[in-house]
Amino acid sequence: MTIDAHPALPEFEYVQPPTLSEASGFLASHSAEARPFLGGTDVLVRMRDGFLTPKFLVDVKKLDGTSSLRFDPQAGLTVGAGVNMNRVIAAPEVRAHYPLLAEACQSVASYQLRNRATIVGNICNASPAGDTIGACLVLNGVLHIHGVDGSREEPLATFFLGPGRTTLRAGDVVTAIHLPLPPKGCAGRYLKLGRNKLSDLSIVAVTALGYPDPDLISRYRFRLALASVAPVPLIPAQAEAYLANQSITPDSIHEAAHLAAEACTPIDDVRGGARYRKAMVRNLSAKALNEIWERLR
Amino acid sequence: MARTAAQDVPSPIGESKPRKDAREKVTGAAIFADDLQFGNALLHARIKRSSHPHALIRRIDAAKARALPGVKAVVTGEDFPGYIGLYLQDRFIFCRERVRYVGDPVAGVAAISEEIAQKALDLIEVEYEILEPVLDPEFGASPSAPLIHPDLGKYVVANFILPEPGTNISNHFKIRKGDVDGAWQKCTAIIERKYQIPHIQHVPIEPHVAIAQVDESGKVTLWGSSQSPFAQRNLIAQSMGISQSDMRVIAPYVGGGFGSKAGVSMESLVVAIATKTKGHPVKLLLTREEEFFTAFVRQALVAYFKMGCDESGRLLAMEHRFYWGGGAYTEYGVNVTRASGYSSSGPYEVPNVKTDSYCVYTNHPVGGPMRGFGMPEMHAGLEQCIDELARKIGMDPVAFRRLNCLKTGSTLVTGSKMHPTGLPECVERVAEAIGWGRKAPPSGPNKRRGKGIALMWKAPAMPPNAGSSAWVELAEDGTVTVGVGGQELGQGIFTVAAQMAAAALGVPYESVRIATPVDTRYSPYEWQTVASRLTWSYGNAVMRAAKDARRQILETVAEDWGEPIEDLDIVNGVVVSYKTERETPLKNLAIYGLPKPGDQGWRGGPVIGRGNFMPTYVTGLDLETGQGERAVVHYTTGAQAVELEVDLDTGRIEIVKGVSAFDVGKAINPEMVKAQMEGGFVQGMSSALFEIMQMKDGVLQNPSFVDYRIATSSDVPKDLQAYIVEVPQDDGPWGARGIGEHSMVPTIPAIANAIYDAVGVRFEGPPFTAERVFLAMLEAGIVK
Amino acid sequence: MAFHKVNVTINGEREQVLVPSNMTLMRMLRESVALTGTKNGCSAGECGACTVLLNGEPVNSCMVLAVECEGAEITTVEGLAGENQLHPIQEALIREGGVQCGFCTPGILISAHALLQRSPNPSDDEIREALVGNLCRCTGYVRIIESVKEAARRR
Repeated sequence: MTIDAHPALPEFEYVQPPTLSEASGFLASHSAEARPFLGGTDVLVRMRDGFLTPKFLVDVKKLDGTSSLRFDPQAGLTVGAGVNMNRVIAAPEVRAHYPLLAEACQSVASYQLRNRATIVGNICNASPAGDTIGACLVLNGVLHIHGVDGSREEPLATFFLGPGRTTLRAGDVVTAIHLPLPPKGCAGRYLKLGRNKLSDLSIVAVTALGYPDPDLISRYRFRLALASVAPVPLIPAQAEAYLANQSITPDSIHEAAHLAAEACTPIDDVRGGARYRKAMVRNLSAKALNEIWERLR
Repeated sequence: MARTAAQDVPSPIGESKPRKDAREKVTGAAIFADDLQFGNALLHARIKRSSHPHALIRRIDAAKARALPGVKAVVTGEDFPGYIGLYLQDRFIFCRERVRYVGDPVAGVAAISEEIAQKALDLIEVEYEILEPVLDPEFGASPSAPLIHPDLGKYVVANFILPEPGTNISNHFKIRKGDVDGAWQKCTAIIERKYQIPHIQHVPIEPHVAIAQVDESGKVTLWGSSQSPFAQRNLIAQSMGISQSDMRVIAPYVGGGFGSKAGVSMESLVVAIATKTKGHPVKLLLTREEEFFTAFVRQALVAYFKMGCDESGRLLAMEHRFYWGGGAYTEYGVNVTRASGYSSSGPYEVPNVKTDSYCVYTNHPVGGPMRGFGMPEMHAGLEQCIDELARKIGMDPVAFRRLNCLKTGSTLVTGSKMHPTGLPECVERVAEAIGWGRKAPPSGPNKRRGKGIALMWKAPAMPPNAGSSAWVELAEDGTVTVGVGGQELGQGIFTVAAQMAAAALGVPYESVRIATPVDTRYSPYEWQTVASRLTWSYGNAVMRAAKDARRQILETVAEDWGEPIEDLDIVNGVVVSYKTERETPLKNLAIYGLPKPGDQGWRGGPVIGRGNFMPTYVTGLDLETGQGERAVVHYTTGAQAVELEVDLDTGRIEIVKGVSAFDVGKAINPEMVKAQMEGGFVQGMSSALFEIMQMKDGVLQNPSFVDYRIATSSDVPKDLQAYIVEVPQDDGPWGARGIGEHSMVPTIPAIANAIYDAVGVRFEGPPFTAERVFLAMLEAGIVK
Repeated sequence: MAFHKVNVTINGEREQVLVPSNMTLMRMLRESVALTGTKNGCSAGECGACTVLLNGEPVNSCMVLAVECEGAEITTVEGLAGENQLHPIQEALIREGGVQCGFCTPGILISAHALLQRSPNPSDDEIREALVGNLCRCTGYVRIIESVKEAARRR
């Protein structure tokens, strides 16, 4: 952040294409100069700081179907790109079937910001600190994308390439995040460590999900996702695999937490140091896994 | 009306009257400086600032900026050769020849819009020759450090500030009391510690803003968010070679000050620019980032403490060295050096003290007045040393303080005697309220609980002749208007002023108004709204003004009724005679006086009361020993205690309970006094747990709310208690003295002492972030 | 840069405002319709001083483009009081001493009002969470939280 942060937003054109195809077409044909936005809570900040200088801001909030939140008892939950986080938190279907997602949304910033912030926006911003990304990963989220070649689906697991970088191409508009039905009997937990008690970005955050899986030696499968400790939201695969092959005890949980910490590559930055972050991944992973285990057994 | 009936009318003094400004503020009607409307004539200013911490300016080329359509003026330091400063004139309005911190103003642009002004900044070319920066005050004080102010010896300076030309030391204050070297041998226990306090900032929610207009005759009007309209008039006028009466400052409500809007900072920039805009007013509103980079900061401190006591725990000696990181300009901060020097014993009686307090230039942002004025920074380490010394001698920390703390008549570090003080009562109150000596179980298996206490003292730090004045005027309807030159920052001075005027005059509180906004053309002179001085200093002035008005009224009525003035009183806005029981409402004579009988003329006339107050008894201090008859006007003393939990998994601190007790002499408005204790505790807690300006090579790394964390509603302890102790101040209005700053002073050490009680670790300085606490516990083997 | 005609209802009054693409709702309120009760504390969505209701929900108006507000209903602090009386939350803030410098106050009032609409009897923790996006430097939040509880009691 430079000393010359502007008092106001730089000049740009606000564009609101009426259809998805027109939005994709505009974004593709102006690829270097146009940027889609939803809640704007990341984009507008970075524009005032001078980090982003799009000539066109393309409002994709109200396009076909992006404002809906739908639950299908077979297919699962589809959250439109334009659905703000407070709506997600309050939705009975989310509370009933995806409480982990609500918990993750609830941890974001403030009530005011959650009225604008969206899960899809959080995902597309692709910050390793994104609070809702972990839940969407462990729940096997799939992105619905509309591009110049039409619609497609992309699993979230392969979406992130680096901080702020995704597989999205020019002309792509993400229209929804879809979460299949969660595994039967699952329990989840999102533990976020910030500097203040509430409202901060995460120094470190752990998403954990556990559910019965009789095919495994442990008879329970655990999914983990770590925030703010790697260039992308991180799945500590070794920790997950380890837990699949042990009986679940405080010791095996402790070891899994240790493996999760080993898997991450945190940096020293203005929010926290690498050594502390690693230790917190271990402690928070253990805490989350223990809590979930108490609910599962 | 019988005298006894009159006494049944409660005095507003000591009543928690509703605020005068609350309604405006809750409806959004209250005007702050950025809300003022100036119409199409208004130009917008943006400032070109140094991106280097220390450099010579080789060349500035503003030709392209001047040529940009919409740009009306571009100014640089070349246009303004005058120095400016409060206690030491070491600063130019715009840099000349040299930049001394990242953010130092190099050029200013006024344009028809903020956007054009911002674009113009990019068109200004500045060539720098980079110099080695000084980033640490101890290094800065050493002979090998590059000089930041080679001309220090030529600067105009107040006679109680002692710079050392040819160095980076802009003030060196000494205490030499008793025989410290000899005393160490008599000590049973000695503690020696180093503490480092980082820069933090005031962070008012309202950023700095100022608008200036210069008319064709050169007369200046300055509007701004300001704690110090009269000081700004004085300092800017002096620097620009204008007569003070040709400069007018109008100051609406202030959205938080804490010292950041005292003295002069960005206001001079916009006045300077306005001299070139042909009568157009020019506004400068700092962005939040600019606030973080360029507004006043709190000095950093590297402090070496040494203290010792005898076997009974009595303090015998203290020897301290303070290296204050004053920043690029220390025109205001030099007095922090002095204030901490003459307070360096802490609120304790210590017969032998040796202190060297140095104000050192660094190439960091400008250290200015921040709530506590050196006291929080100093007590942060001092009160931890007291705790350690107590434990070393095997004494309970509260008992140790009980023994050593100042009492009425104690001998002070400057040689004078302590006036009546309730500090011992404050100690007892907080010790009891926190349940000292009783250990509560932690709330979970991975938590540890601890309790800590800290005391404080502070005097208003100001020149010996800082004055206040007031006027009181009546209207035809009997309402009273009070003139004030001090500013409502939220602390409640307008309310308290009305209470005091009402009480001294004899009218209902509800009938008193404050003449707002403060306007140096019409408002009575006030030195500055700082130092927690207004209730006491301005309070005396408004009391005198109200009594003056009262005298005028009673003289007129006494003459009219043919009664001695001693039998008359004003009660609830009515003039009454206790002897004859005659009465007449004030409004009957407030403007027009009273007719003489037989159509023989009139007596009295428009009532206007005036009063002023300036302390007359502050003496100088010996330049070598710091001893003097009366160093300061008075001290406010107090104590805080804290109960907290440490989370062993994360290092997080949770304050379970915080208690404060301060001796305010007399609480004119008790709930507002308590509100100051609460707000100060939370700001102190925030500085203890979260706040730090992360400086790297002279560049601030966290210039936004995202990474400069302050306390939110979620961080406030659920149990926060405030106790008022009242041992009257002999020359305070109704015995009152100040409270605004004091509640932030002991919080860091109270928390540090509680952390030690919980987990046995101490830190070289705040903030006690979860990360630092966890890593310290790891080092100590408390966690794995 | 294009200008857009935006039709909004502000505090119950219909307005048509011409705004450039890059104007935030905060600036539109403060500059185009001169409603200066809403404050500019950071322009970054962090401090909450600019909080207003957008279609009944609190938002940081510095993070919303004016042009996005076509057809919207906006409530600012100036719209809280009734014709002849203050809103209960305004009265409570005065009574409990939750106002000092007053700069955070408009944003606090909007957030608190919205909280009481969706949760008429909020717990202490709920209040803290609802206000976490409104920074206050003066009060330490103690009396603000008390004010919200008091307003809830009196409803």
